Amino acid sequence: MNAIEIKGLKKKFSNKTVLENISLTVKQRDIYGFLGPNGAGKTTTLRIILGLIPYDEGSISVMGKDISLWKEHLKRRVNVLPESHGFYGWMNAVAYLRLFGNLYGIRMTEDRCLSQLQTVGLDPENRLPIRTYSRGMKQRLGIARATINSPEILFLDEPTNGLDPRGRREIHDFLLYLNREHGTTIVISTHILDDVERLCNRIAILHHGKIRYEGALENKANDISCRYKFKLDKKWEIPDNWQNTHIRFLEHRGDYLICQLNSIGATEAIKELLKTGLPIVEAEQISGGIEETYFVHTEGEI
Amino acid sequence: MSDMTTLLRKECVENLSVFRTIVMFIFVCILMSVYSILLISNTEMSLLDNAHAEYMLTELVLILSLLVTLLLGSDGIAGERERDTLEVLLLSPVNGRSIAVSKLFNILFTWLILFVLSLPYLWALAGNGQNLVPSIIALLVTGTLCITIVGGISLILSIKFQTVKGAIFTGMTVFLLLVSPAILGSSLRNNAIGRFVDAIDPIMGAINTLDSVIIDSQGISFQLFRLGVMLFYTIVVLTSLYYISRKVEL
Repeated sequence: MNAIEIKGLKKKFSNKTVLENISLTVKQRDIYGFLGPNGAGKTTTLRIILGLIPYDEGSISVMGKDISLWKEHLKRRVNVLPESHGFYGWMNAVAYLRLFGNLYGIRMTEDRCLSQLQTVGLDPENRLPIRTYSRGMKQRLGIARATINSPEILFLDEPTNGLDPRGRREIHDFLLYLNREHGTTIVISTHILDDVERLCNRIAILHHGKIRYEGALENKANDISCRYKFKLDKKWEIPDNWQNTHIRFLEHRGDYLICQLNSIGATEAIKELLKTGLPIVEAEQISGGIEETYFVHTEGEI
Repeated sequence: MSDMTTLLRKECVENLSVFRTIVMFIFVCILMSVYSILLISNTEMSLLDNAHAEYMLTELVLILSLLVTLLLGSDGIAGERERDTLEVLLLSPVNGRSIAVSKLFNILFTWLILFVLSLPYLWALAGNGQNLVPSIIALLVTGTLCITIVGGISLILSIKFQTVKGAIFTGMTVFLLLVSPAILGSSLRNNAIGRFVDAIDPIMGAINTLDSVIIDSQGISFQLFRLGVMLFYTIVVLTSLYYISRKVEL
């Protein structure tokens, strides 16, 4: 059984199509990265999955059950850290956790609240109102709230926003611990590609309301784009009849040629280029991995 | 049910700990104090008999409470939406109806506080005490019905409007329409249209009930028609709130 399965999802706001034929699958125990520029439709997709806004067409199942039939029960099995955390600034952290724990039907003792705060690296002795917290502290408190019901699926919208490097590392470790030790499926919507590389095993790239890429991060040698800079032995002209969807020439200046390789390994690409008589003497990867994939599929927007 | 209790507890604690609400209570107390002192010490106003003074204070308490209710109700859902706290609430196992009902109970709780705060002033103006008990009973009964009506309407507006400003502006318009017959001259109020408007307007029903009970010393049981009208509006507003709050959206 898949954790989340979306087929042919469509959503319009007034007459504007914001999601077009979205299909994706999140397997159980995945850490799934949901990438895309601002306005791509990530938050709308998450809100639809969570039943906050209705959708026009398609089907969505969470833990094997259709969400339209299962909204209330679903809320107890998942949890969310939205981008706008929505804190009650007048409360302190313990009161805040107690409020949400009670809403989930969990008896939140003082000890339980304190240990939850400690888990995310917050000082349990701090009884100041939340409005005095820094952005990083609020982020940690948000994660403490989002994990209060030990969710089977955890949705995180920009989970490391505003955290310093140490804080980010701690949150990464905590999320990996949740995934490995508790089997929590995690869906992360983020702009921070380093988070994705460190945490995710699968990603989807959304752009202009369409899925542009969906796949496993492990396959990046073959599936994901990279750029190579080739030093040439002598002057060379790009053949007029060049038609190779995997290799795109980006820049040719003097004895240097920059190519973008899509869904092809570097060795294989060099072999292809040598066949055309390209006098390669040196090859150097200048960018690649997820960042390159992101740029290729979002046409440079971030 | 437990989620509603949890939310209600949160609302009440927020009410009693947030600076804005405390300032509001202090402001209402200052107004009631000034009004009461004027009723006792001002040369012209002190000529009024105790029943009139009592009536004027109950009217002030009712109108102030309705204004506070309007502000609280308009801020109820739209305020949570503006402060981004509504999304987190809706994502937890709570439905829109629980949120709306807890807000309504919080409004009634605030009304209860205002009512209790007004008791010493009513007592001070009661003189020989003849009108004190009828005033308290009439204010409690009519006030509770009116607060439920205005609270319900402002919560419905708060669900429908994206901003607090929009909800307050529309709520205030409705409120002014409801109290507008009070500022009409007596000749206009005594003609057929004036009497009809008076009869179907719940706020005017409450004000007229206070008048009849406190000044004319009629028993509250003689006010069944007016109370019936207020009760009818209460039922309509609560039913509407019940259905509209099923679909609280971001």
